[in-house]
Amino acid sequence: MPRQANAVDFWRGFALVSIFVNHIPGIWFERLTHRNVSISDSAELFVFLAGWSLGLLVSSRSAAPNSALLVFRLGGRAVTIYAAQILISSIALALLASAAYAFDNPLILEWHNAAAIFQEPALTHIGLVLLSHHLGYFDILPLYVVLMLTAPAIAMLDRFARPALLPLSFALYFAALMVPFTARTWPVEGQWFFNPFTWQALFVLGFVLSRNMGMGAIVRRHIDGIRIAALPIVLVTAVMVVWNWFPDPTALPEPKLLFLNGKSFLTPIRLLQFLALIAVGSAMYRPVAPHVPWLTEFLSSLGRNSLNVFCVASVLSLVGQIIRYRYAASFMVDTVVVVVGISLLWLTATVSEWRERQKSQS
Amino acid sequence: MRVGPVLALAQLASLSPAARAQTDTQLPTIAKECGEIAAADTPLPHSAAALRDRRQLRILAIGASSASMLGGTRDTMPLLEQILERSIKGLDVEIINRGVSGELASAAAERLKIEVALNHPDVILWQVGTNDAFAQVPVEEFESTVREMLQWLRKHNVDAILIGLHYMKQLATHEHYQAIRASLRRIVAAEGVLRIGRYESTEILARTLREEGHPEPSTFGLNEGGYNCMAQYLARAIAVGLFAKPSPKPRP
Repeated sequence: MPRQANAVDFWRGFALVSIFVNHIPGIWFERLTHRNVSISDSAELFVFLAGWSLGLLVSSRSAAPNSALLVFRLGGRAVTIYAAQILISSIALALLASAAYAFDNPLILEWHNAAAIFQEPALTHIGLVLLSHHLGYFDILPLYVVLMLTAPAIAMLDRFARPALLPLSFALYFAALMVPFTARTWPVEGQWFFNPFTWQALFVLGFVLSRNMGMGAIVRRHIDGIRIAALPIVLVTAVMVVWNWFPDPTALPEPKLLFLNGKSFLTPIRLLQFLALIAVGSAMYRPVAPHVPWLTEFLSSLGRNSLNVFCVASVLSLVGQIIRYRYAASFMVDTVVVVVGISLLWLTATVSEWRERQKSQS
Repeated sequence: MRVGPVLALAQLASLSPAARAQTDTQLPTIAKECGEIAAADTPLPHSAAALRDRRQLRILAIGASSASMLGGTRDTMPLLEQILERSIKGLDVEIINRGVSGELASAAAERLKIEVALNHPDVILWQVGTNDAFAQVPVEEFESTVREMLQWLRKHNVDAILIGLHYMKQLATHEHYQAIRASLRRIVAAEGVLRIGRYESTEILARTLREEGHPEPSTFGLNEGGYNCMAQYLARAIAVGLFAKPSPKPRP
């Protein structure tokens, strides 16, 4: 039986639907996603909840009591995510090639960093396998793979040197901002869209805050006060986003990455705003969920099957882009794309849970 | 306005003696198979200042497929950098590629401000329009985004070169694609920035090939030759822009 609807799965489902919509640039429904009133967006939520899930896994009764076994399990999860990234990248390339042929438009082969694959296949395939070449909008799973590869180290630090985990993570975060440094792409020269050295801090925060000990316990004890402090941050930053009231980046003091708003480096203003947003937003689940059971169950079912749903959502977003290119975009076309897409995400979650039930019965 | 080699050479000939002595410049050539460049003789004053002060010329590339427009193979420095340094003696070029494939103009503009703050470029190469055309971004929204960004760049003493949309025979009747293309021409006229008219260049090249009985380059841009042509267009435009005389202020 799938687990009951809960806040973590609910918000993860929410993030997945947002990612699906936001990855179809220009679509009408993009204006309804929370990034229009928030500095952070669904990518932050996705990574934070990935860390949160890791924390729940490590602390659950079913977690391997043996450290070696735990490391093995977490490593296996990283391999699964890696395989998913390779699979969806391959499907995306085939989709682009099919669309280029079907619509007699070779330019489609250049979409989303795909040009290098078709122009220089030998080197770029090596880059794809090494995760040093990412297709546009298919760049969050490489970050997730790296984070899951570090998960054994996080779990071991948590087990044997818990007080060091968060300071080490934030030391790396601030070093990456102040030096600054990031992961490079290859063979196409560039940078990872999601800097793993900074985004790991959010993953670790999710891990730490999920636990009923240490900082997680402190936050739970003071959550009401934290929410009162967080609310003005959420409101002020919403106004900043709506009216585009951000300081000129060139006028900021050095090191600028500490002060400006940048997604790739997950700069402190984004991190702070995200933490404030989840402090406030997390208060909504309990009073709201009972009144919209269908929505709660729907989003939770997506969240329970997040990897499968994420993979299908990524591919469907690309299909949505191709459809919008082929049929001159209109509100009607956008509505069909979103309704059919979200229905297919639900179908993915339903089939995944049906398969799990079949496995457990056999 | 299209600038032929004769006019560009005339501009180089009109350099001040100090500038000529300092630079020992040759106008970068464009291979015959690349056709002719469609670009105005728009000055690049901040880049010219870098050259005059013997500073490194920092070029920041942004937009879809920005790496490919720089040309060359992966294991050498970008062709654009090679051509410029070969053509203009004493010029030291650094190219910073910050392209994010699939990005719309609005997202690129946000990142561009950050990249300017972090990297202090003298000139921006912004490949813009194709993704917005395919994503059906409203023309007014696109135009407003790009114009605001160009004004911001001017205010921050950064030159801008726009690389226009790709040419595709099949897209000649694509209404939104052509609307975004027309919008880009309006932006260039209003803001007085340099545009590499890739669409027109390739269109002329395709017509010439057709008239000579050769197959059209239906996949132009999707091969190393196409990218190298783009690097040559850019090098020519930058070299001309470095020495072009300042033009009157852009129309409001």
